[in-house]
Amino acid sequence: MAAIKRIKVGTASCGIAAGAGQVFDALKNAATDVPVIGVGCFGHCYAEPIVEVECEDGTSVFYSKVKPEDAAGILNLTEEGRFSIPARRAELEKTLVTRLAGKINPIDMQEYIANGGFESMKKAFAMTPEQVVDEVKKAGLRGRGGAGFPTGMKWSFLAAKQVPEKVLICNADEGDPGAFMDRSMMESVPFQMMEGMLIGAYATGATKLFIYCRAEYPLAIKHLSIAIDAMKEANLHMLPGREKPLEIIIKEGAGAFVCGEETAMIHSLEGKRGTPRFRPPFPTDSGWNTLPTAINNVETFCNIAPLFSIGADAFAAIGTEKGKGTKIFALAGDVKNPGLTEVPMGTTLAEVVYEIGGAEPGTVKAVQTGGPSGGCIPADKFDTKIDYDTLGALGAIMGSGGLIVIGNNRCMVETARYFLSFTQRESCGKCTFCRVGTTRMYEALQRITEGKGTEADIAFLEDIGPKIKKGALCGLGQTAPNPALSTLRYFRNEYEEHVRDHVCSAHICSALTDIKVDTDKCVKCGLCMRTCPVGAIQKTDVFTVDNAKCSKCNSCIEICPKKAISRVNKGEGFNSSL
Amino acid sequence: MAEFKFILDGKEVTAQPGETILAVAARNGIEIPTLCFNKKISKTTSCFVCVVKDVKTGKFLPSCSACPAPGQEIESSTDEVREMRRTALGLLLSEHTGDCEAPCTLACPAHANVEEYVRAGRKGDFLESLKIIKQRIPLPMSVGRVCPRFCEKDCRRNIDGKPVSINDVKRIAADLFYETYMEELPELNGKKVAIIGAGPAGLSAAYYLRLQGVASVLFDQQPEAGGMLRYGIPEFRLPKDTLRKELAHFGKMGGIEIRTNSKLDRDFTLDQLKSEYDAVIFAIGSWASSSMRIDGEDLANQGIAWLGEIAGKNWQGCANPGRTVVVGGGNTAMDCARTALRLGGDVTVVYRRTKNEMPASLVEIEEAEEEGIKFEYLTAPLALAKAEDGSLALSCQRMELGAADASGRRTPVPVAGSDFIIPADTVISAIGQRTIVPAGIPSGKRGIEAAKEDLRVFADAPVYAAGDCVSGPATVVEALAAGRKAALAVLDFFAGKPHTEPFLFNVSRGHWRNLAKEDLVYLRKISEADRVQPDYISMDRRKSTFDELFDSIPADKVSAEADRCIECSCTAKGDCLLKKHSTKYGVSPDMYCGQKPISTVDVRHEYIIHDKQKCIRCGTCVKVCSEVINKGLLALMKRGFNTMVQTALGEELPSYCKDCGACVNECPVGALDWKQKK
Repeated sequence: MAAIKRIKVGTASCGIAAGAGQVFDALKNAATDVPVIGVGCFGHCYAEPIVEVECEDGTSVFYSKVKPEDAAGILNLTEEGRFSIPARRAELEKTLVTRLAGKINPIDMQEYIANGGFESMKKAFAMTPEQVVDEVKKAGLRGRGGAGFPTGMKWSFLAAKQVPEKVLICNADEGDPGAFMDRSMMESVPFQMMEGMLIGAYATGATKLFIYCRAEYPLAIKHLSIAIDAMKEANLHMLPGREKPLEIIIKEGAGAFVCGEETAMIHSLEGKRGTPRFRPPFPTDSGWNTLPTAINNVETFCNIAPLFSIGADAFAAIGTEKGKGTKIFALAGDVKNPGLTEVPMGTTLAEVVYEIGGAEPGTVKAVQTGGPSGGCIPADKFDTKIDYDTLGALGAIMGSGGLIVIGNNRCMVETARYFLSFTQRESCGKCTFCRVGTTRMYEALQRITEGKGTEADIAFLEDIGPKIKKGALCGLGQTAPNPALSTLRYFRNEYEEHVRDHVCSAHICSALTDIKVDTDKCVKCGLCMRTCPVGAIQKTDVFTVDNAKCSKCNSCIEICPKKAISRVNKGEGFNSSL
Repeated sequence: MAEFKFILDGKEVTAQPGETILAVAARNGIEIPTLCFNKKISKTTSCFVCVVKDVKTGKFLPSCSACPAPGQEIESSTDEVREMRRTALGLLLSEHTGDCEAPCTLACPAHANVEEYVRAGRKGDFLESLKIIKQRIPLPMSVGRVCPRFCEKDCRRNIDGKPVSINDVKRIAADLFYETYMEELPELNGKKVAIIGAGPAGLSAAYYLRLQGVASVLFDQQPEAGGMLRYGIPEFRLPKDTLRKELAHFGKMGGIEIRTNSKLDRDFTLDQLKSEYDAVIFAIGSWASSSMRIDGEDLANQGIAWLGEIAGKNWQGCANPGRTVVVGGGNTAMDCARTALRLGGDVTVVYRRTKNEMPASLVEIEEAEEEGIKFEYLTAPLALAKAEDGSLALSCQRMELGAADASGRRTPVPVAGSDFIIPADTVISAIGQRTIVPAGIPSGKRGIEAAKEDLRVFADAPVYAAGDCVSGPATVVEALAAGRKAALAVLDFFAGKPHTEPFLFNVSRGHWRNLAKEDLVYLRKISEADRVQPDYISMDRRKSTFDELFDSIPADKVSAEADRCIECSCTAKGDCLLKKHSTKYGVSPDMYCGQKPISTVDVRHEYIIHDKQKCIRCGTCVKVCSEVINKGLLALMKRGFNTMVQTALGEELPSYCKDCGACVNECPVGALDWKQKK
């Protein structure tokens, strides 16, 4: 058995949430001589807490779902709990940007350097700023925040401005429900992101850097602060040929979704209410305090160092014709293996959902890409090769990379209602189409899921949706109707079923659902009756749920040891008021 | 960059760098609607009513903020663009609450500006009050006495049970100034209209024609003009001396001639009128009584004819009708009953439904009750017979209320075996009236068949009809409204353009029945006094003479009464851009329905009302206060649908705002406004 060199515990937020903190402490206590360190996230959320045991011979052993009491066994390198990345997944993934995530101590600059850190910066600084911009252009890197604007192009706009002060902003306001790749990168490889920003500042002539990060990401902010301090200490913020060091400021956002929109973010950075403004002028012409400003997403900046590391040609060789490089997806929803996955552009949705996510084919009816701004793509379109344009053609968007898998047991109307409830709440309230339009759409969806919808509600959604898309001021409003429109496009039958037959065949919409006990399966144990919070279950000679009282909380369904209780169509269960 | 060209609505236009599409359009005579654009402040880009289409991208751009690009193709007037504007307006309206017009004004069939004339009365300016009234009601002395007061039924002060006594403002204003006030009249323009019938509808048509320089001749078969006012409504409700004073004004106006004792097809024919006049208006009223459809009906007097006969004798020297039974529940029935009472009769009213269903005004029923008239409700006549001694016997049957009919009233159904007899000396049938349509005139369900839009009767000749003869029996104020409509249609015909009813745009907080006292908005401290009551003459005089029931309430008391008005209409009704554009684009307030945002009305400031329920959240006030005035007292708070303009910590606006009012002046709607109405 090889000697243990050191033990690494994944202590990014997701790991900590799964209990990595206690695991870390237990290992630290048990291992007297062996160093135990916290590392970032390497994407396999479903397996957290994850422990990697690095051996002197250069091999590693992984353990998943570790509990504090497993510490002794891990130090003995027992077989139990050992974990390896599924082979097919490893084959499909390409860890270009996430190469170091979960592998190194995130806040140790020396370790970053030891793993090739700042080599790309040196390469870039050996070029002229124009050459750096050209390299990024040549690589074909497009913005990873959602819209996919070519990064090199954006940089060239800023570089062209002949003014003494320019601004470069990192958009770290990751706001989509279900998206967490930016948090993971900031927590796991803050130096990598900052290296990308320094290269960007060098290429564009930016003098002031902002990182606009949501305050809900305290660990990311902490790691970034440590990284920035260490880099300042090393004088890395003094770019070649500059008289003054870069100003680097972390600005904590208050959690408004719309502040991910670049003009709203600039307003917020200026200390104003975070509302978008009409473009043009684009920020590169007039941005923060009217200074030329460029904004890139966390993942985009994280792509820069790997890009220079492998070179533009090698970078451009990855992916599709219009989508170069890789994309990190946050895989969530009805899959066995949720987490982060980095795949080359052009990987199919089927590969991501079934082979990486581990969903059983036939159990999934759609994926929602791009979060609340994106759209649903039905399972029969899963052979689509993922890039910006293919997803757009299907009525969805790439977005920042959230990928929510929707199982057959979900209701698509309810899914759309959920996303609209988010966007209408997060609208900044400035423009009529978004402020009022999304609210009216939400109300129509609410009526449909409550069984009060009519054909007129469907017609209304189909009429107002495209108008909001064409008329709203910013990206939030322009994409807010997508969840409703795409579900209407691919799952119109579900809408019609709700309004025409008053049926939710997924039995999700409670207003259209009864709870029923299957008396053949029921063993009369009485657990359900004791669990029911509203006293809706009666025992006569059999157990019955009275749907007049039932609040549809599912407690009985979950507690029943015989799975004898289920949700059925309204009217199929007992109702004392009828 | 120098001046460049782009395409706007298919035409090449030039633009200066930095110039918005809105500005270029304005220079080229293309009017683009906008609520939130304001030259004094930086761009708000909020309302999106100003959208135009970028043809190449298919996107809609806010023209207040978008600057054209060289060669860009912009559409600003297509149906698609108009539809997007309608959508933006509809969405704004769906979150907007208020009252464009006061409920009283809307309730008035003639749409008299009730709130305005009540306000003038409150200030003691009854001449001004009369001027406003006469814009829609040319017979204010009569209407001030006989109107069933539609306005008061919808008055928001009904919430505490005491509507403002609006009609008394009209009555005193007319008493004080009707005879001396003369409108500014244009010269006669040579056009001349024949009007058949000199009742309210005909007189109204003549009046509004004259205001536009058109002369008219009113033909009436009766010896005196006034129609129902003269021969239907009894002296005690409308003294004929008062009516004569009122009608005298028409003679003074010059150009209005009244020819009495002139009957169609006896003294003149329609063909004659058509050849001698530029247009003809029928306003012949509804003078035939409806049939009771019972045996012995011819033994009964016909209500309206009976009233006319007595009116013809000027309520003098008429016989005592003795035991009198009046059949019917409308205002004519009440008039018959109370006339019979004053002639010495012992009067019983027979009505087949209950008091709740009676179509007569409640006040008249109550006055009749006070005067000692008996009511037999749920009673229907079956037959009328004459005994040998000459007395009458009205066989009746008890009824009970069954299911509601199409009009919502419950249908009476007979109770088997409940027959009984009411002995009587006089029976008067007053169950309704109908129009006798003259020969050769198209007739419809209710009388003369006239086009709904412009009241025109014949497509090939300018012949119109208005009033009861078209609508069936209605009120004086409705006849006045119809007469005015006919006059406007005739004027449009003279001008060679089609007459269309204006699109009446109105947002309403709702009927008072659906509101609570806390929902009322107070622009000023209002009087807490009780509703003013008239001083009736003594009951003896009421029962034995035809003297008017009460004198007009004196001016000072009426002014005090008007101080009870809470002035429901929007402070910005004259300059609200949301109303203006919605009217122009034909957008109804209920185009889109849904929840309204939770917001309040702030009336704490002495001079300024901040009605957040009207706010369109454009933020113009916020920018005016911070960018122009440099104060920053207002800010947008909250997000999404709940976004609202607010002061810091919701505090009251400082008193010094009364000297500025910049926000008030720039608010595109009535969200921030002066409390005091002009």
